[in-house]
This record gives sequence, structure tokens and C-alpha cells, in this order.
Amino acid sequence: MLSRRSFLSSLAAALPLAVLVRRAHAAAVIHLESDPATLDALAAAVLPSELGRAGTTRVAREFRDWGTKYREDAELVHGYGTSRLRATGPTPLTRWTTQLDELEAQAQSKHQQRFRDLGVEQRADLVRAALAGQRLDRMPSVVDANHVAVALLAHFYDSPTATDLCYNAHIGKQTCRPLSAQARKPLPMIKLSER
Amino acid sequence: MRRAIESDVCIIGSGITAAMVADRLARTTSARIVVVEAGDETVPLAQRAAMRERFLRYGENPWGRDHLEGYEVEGPLQSRSMQVGGLAMHWGGVTPRFSPEDFKHRSMFGVGSDWPISYEELDPFYQEAEELMGVAGEQGPRELDPRAKPFPMPALPLTYNLELLKAWASSAGIAMWSQPSAKNSVAYRGRAQCCRNDTCSPICPVGAKYSPDFTWSELRRANKIRLIPRTLVRKLVLGPSSTTISHAIAVDRDHPEQPVEFHAKTFVVAAGYTWSSHLLLLSAQSGAPNGVANASGLVGKYLTGHRNVQGFVELPLRLYPGMNEQHSLVTKQFMRPKSGAPFIRHDLRVWESSTGRAPRLADDSGALMLGDTILADWRARAKTGAARVRAYYDVVPDRASELTLDATRKNEWGDPLPKLAFRDAPESVALRAQTEDSIRALFANMAKAGDGKLLRTSVDNFQDHPAGGCRMGNDAAASVVDSWGRAHDHENLFVVGAPTSVSGSCANATLTFCALSLRSAHEIEKGLPRRP
Repeated sequence: MLSRRSFLSSLAAALPLAVLVRRAHAAAVIHLESDPATLDALAAAVLPSELGRAGTTRVAREFRDWGTKYREDAELVHGYGTSRLRATGPTPLTRWTTQLDELEAQAQSKHQQRFRDLGVEQRADLVRAALAGQRLDRMPSVVDANHVAVALLAHFYDSPTATDLCYNAHIGKQTCRPLSAQARKPLPMIKLSER
Repeated sequence: MRRAIESDVCIIGSGITAAMVADRLARTTSARIVVVEAGDETVPLAQRAAMRERFLRYGENPWGRDHLEGYEVEGPLQSRSMQVGGLAMHWGGVTPRFSPEDFKHRSMFGVGSDWPISYEELDPFYQEAEELMGVAGEQGPRELDPRAKPFPMPALPLTYNLELLKAWASSAGIAMWSQPSAKNSVAYRGRAQCCRNDTCSPICPVGAKYSPDFTWSELRRANKIRLIPRTLVRKLVLGPSSTTISHAIAVDRDHPEQPVEFHAKTFVVAAGYTWSSHLLLLSAQSGAPNGVANASGLVGKYLTGHRNVQGFVELPLRLYPGMNEQHSLVTKQFMRPKSGAPFIRHDLRVWESSTGRAPRLADDSGALMLGDTILADWRARAKTGAARVRAYYDVVPDRASELTLDATRKNEWGDPLPKLAFRDAPESVALRAQTEDSIRALFANMAKAGDGKLLRTSVDNFQDHPAGGCRMGNDAAASVVDSWGRAHDHENLFVVGAPTSVSGSCANATLTFCALSLRSAHEIEKGLPRRP
């Protein structure tokens, strides 16, 4: 049976670039969906523990969904003051799946275990090692993140859930909410344990 | 073979000012109205929630491919967007009026030009536009914010954040109120109440923000107009030995081999500040060698707008960014200097902001953060709040602030594209540094009044809400159209909205463009059969 890399290499030799890219994206989608455990384990290692395992798994699932629905060469929102048009770039999914494979390989190499079976701190250490030397400061946009771990963080921290968690308040940014309620202070979040 | 389409009124363009004119004429006359739009049909309301979702997730343009290919122009084009509804499909819906001083710069301050109309003359048309669109507004202090009648809708309520920021502004001696907006504070004309989706620009998913497609849908449903999309008007043609416009020549983008002619008694060019002047210049012919309506040589001249200075202020306030970030406070306190005072005028708006309070990947020492540390760091920095402050200020346009035809770039039908260059008049050049310093000082004083800190300021060189190119005036040698938008050179040609502006004020200008268009419509309807 062909490995994913061999499959991609054989495609590269035979097909036009656009077709190749589409198929590479499709292969990455299959890879992510058929083996969600590595991404889930990554999410549990880099996202806030307050989310709990169910929460980090949900974020990982939403992130996968983001990736699988990504479209290349889609027109981006127009800028004001310019006639220049911009479009979305190549799928980041192929890069991300490769990076997940690399985390897996590092786990095997350093700990002789699968990434998903490592402790949270061990997984975080592998992520730190993968990001070593990269210039990181602001949270980038998801698509601009140069590593799957950063992309996952960017995806979560851009969400209404993250904002509510930070402020411990039901702000619900960019969701449909009653207009009349905007004059009052957002209600505090209630932790499950306090219900 | 040519295809000819007959009407009483041919409106070129389908943006917000075209919608104002068509709505008025359809209400008051029985004229046959044809509207011609170069772009495609817009995205139906039912699909906008899904389009918004892709915009939020991926930054995709929620309006599809709303542009003509090959229209990369030199200069600061406001937007590449071209579709039924025009740029107001993705506007912010912000609708302040100009102030009375805007119409008499020369007589009050000795700079620029006076308009041939006053604020008081425009007031009823402002009101008509506000009622047509549905504007939610709060009456500001009457001495700052004069108007003859109340807003058609109650103001959008201030958010909890804006209430705190309003008190802060007040402590700095600034009276601020809820920014008037074409967004429904209550259900209005069959459209939903705003529910704070907070993506007004570029897309409102529920139809609470006015956009011209709602007017077009109503008028089409009632068979009151015929709107023809994907058809680019390329030239206005004079009648033989005549100064009246006989017809417009257009290209049907689906059948470019078959030219289309639009024959009408009255032509209304409602194509915004770029494409209106562009069409008139493209229409050079025997009898109008420099372009239609251009005996004065001023078509494309005096492009105008306003620049802005923006700042961010850190404040010891617990704010909750995300409550409704596109809504703001506004004041006209700095728009209304006394006659003879230095010509330094600006508006002022205040928004909630998350600047300096966004989550980050590295701490102050540059160390990578993961897991709980990112959230803890974010929480610590979010304990205090931040505000965005911005002031649009007046720029007096120079005659050489202009749109010209670019001989080096042509569209696929061989027409030269426009080239845009904005230039300040000498008096604006002289005042620029003083104006910007004065605004920065105001921001610093505001920060101090709130025990805060001015984090940074910046100047945006782009002149927002661009206008001009067919300025109005009483003197045919010094203007392109009269105060009604009628071309001095052609009895049956009107230019409406943004291009007719004499100056760009220091506030969002779309409502003024609409009011001017409705005033033009009142004049146009005089020559048309009244609706029984």
C-alpha cells in the first residue's frame, strides 16, 4: 500500500498543478478525518485546560472543519482605497498534516510512544521544540500560521468562546443577540461545577 | 444588430444614489424608468448568512466576484466592487449629516468654495433620505446638531462599553452621542431589527442595515422600474446638432457582439465619484470634444474627501470588547468653529477597542506561551480597557485633484480606464500639520482626563468617502452641474450624488450624497408625468 507521501509524489509526476493541489487538499482532509487523535492530543496540550477534554476535542473538530472547507483562490474581501484584488492562497492543510506527522515522528523518536499517549507536558515540549527559532509574538490569522499548533491556537482565540472565557462574561461577539441587551453589562459565565 | 431600449428616464448605475432617485421618481411619477448596471446581480438576502460565515472564517469576499475584470486603475479607487446596489452593499451604514458650515467654507473661513445650496435647503432631503433608508439616531445638542424633524427611528442603544466611554469623553469636556446609522433599531419597512452581528461592513446577514438592493427589490416587484445588470454604458451621445443627450451606448457583457442603445428623455448619471466623471470624459465627440458636460473643463476635477487621524487610548475601565464594535459615539463639537476662526474642523468618534488586549503567543520577554499561560496573560492584559478615537478632518480640494483618462490602461472593450490623483489645495497643505497636531493634542487631553494613556496615533492618507469630479455651482464656467445636478451644458442630463459635491466635509458622506440625489430627483420629476 502506498504511503501518503508516496501517493503525493506519484501524483506530482502525472498531473497538472491545479489538479494536484486539489487532490493534495483532499488527501490531507482524509488524513485528518481518518486519524483525529493526534490533532485532539495536540489541542489538549496547547489549549487552556479550563476547556476540559471535551472542550479541546470540540475545538479540534471545529479546526478540522475549518481546514476541510478551505477554498483556494477564493476572492478575499476588497480593500478600500485600492483596485487590487486578492485571493486565498494554497491550502494550509497539507502543511498541517505534514507537521502532525512530524510531531508523531518526534514522539516515537524521543519517547517511543505515540503522540496521543504522551503526557500533556511532554506533548507541549514537543510543540515548543517544533516552534523553536520561529519568531512568534502576536496571534496570527489561522491561514498565516506557520505551524499547525499555532493555527489551532489562532483558530480558538479568534472565537467568541475564547473571548467569553477571557472576560468570564457572555459577550457572544459576532453572534446574533438582542439589541436591547447591549446596554447592560454582560452576564458572568457560570462554571458547570457552580450550576 | 443594435438593440434599442426606450424609457423616459435612464439611470446609469444602481448604487445608493441611483436607488434614491429611482424610488422618488417611481413614487411620484408614472415615468418609464430603466436602470443600467455594469456589475452582476447581488447576493440575495437569504444567502448572506452563509456568505458572512465564510467571510468570518476565511476573509472571503461575501459578495462573490463583484467586479469587472481588468479594472486595475492607477490611484486610490475607493473600492473595486461593482454590482447591483454598488458600494453601499458593503457600507458601514453610518449616516451623520454634514453641518451648516460645510456649505459656506469661503464665506465663513476664506478657504475653498461655497456650495450653491445651504444646509437649511438640504434639510428636508436629508429627512427624506433618512426615512427612505431608515436611520436610527439620537438628537445631539441642538446647537451642534440642527435638524427640523426627529429621526425616523429611535437611536441604537449605546453598549455598556460606550456608556462608560461616553462618561469618559464627558470628563474631557466632550458631549458625545449615539452615531446615527442606517440600521434598524426596530423593525422597519419589512426589514429586521439589528441583532448585533457586528459585521455591518462588509455584510449584514439579516437585512437590518439598509442597502440599495432592498429598494430595487421593492421597485422590481411592483414593476415600477426595469433594472438591467451586466451592461456597461460606454458613451453618452448627443443628438444631431443638439445639446441634448440622445442615447447611451452600452455593451451587454453576455452578448458583447450586440451593442445596446438606451434612448431616454432624461439621463441620470448615478455612478459615483469615479465612474460618473469617467463616463462623461469617455463621451467626447463632435459637439463635446472634451467630453460631455465638460465645456468648463472641470469634469474629473476637484476630487474631494477627508483624511483622518486615529489613536488608541488605554483606560482604567473594565470594558468588554465584542459587544458591538461597529457602533460608536460621535460628536460635532469640533465641526463647528466660529466664522473667521482658523479652518481646523474635524468630527470625533469613539469606539470600544481590543488594541493591546488581544491574545498573544509570546510574553514580554519573548518566551513562547502555550496552554493556560496564554489565557492567563490575556486575562491580565484585559483588566483595563482601550478606546479607538478617530477624527476625519476637512481637506480643501485642489483643481488638480483629478480623474483623467489613462491612455496606458484600457478595459476589454478598448476604453481607457480612469486614473485618480487626490491633491490638497494650497490652504489645506498649509494647515495640514497644525490640524493633525491639534487632533493628536485632543486625543492626549482625552487620555489624561480619563487617567489613561495615548498608546499611538496614525494618519491615513487615503481620502475617505471620496466625491467630486462634477462639482455643482451657479457659474457654468466654474462648475459642471447646477445645484440640482443638471449639467450646465445639457438640459436633459443630470449627475447625482457624490460627484456633485463641492467639498467632502469631515464626516461620513453617504447620507449627504443621498440627500443631494433626492433633491435632484425633485427637479427631474418636474418634467415627468405625475403619478395619478
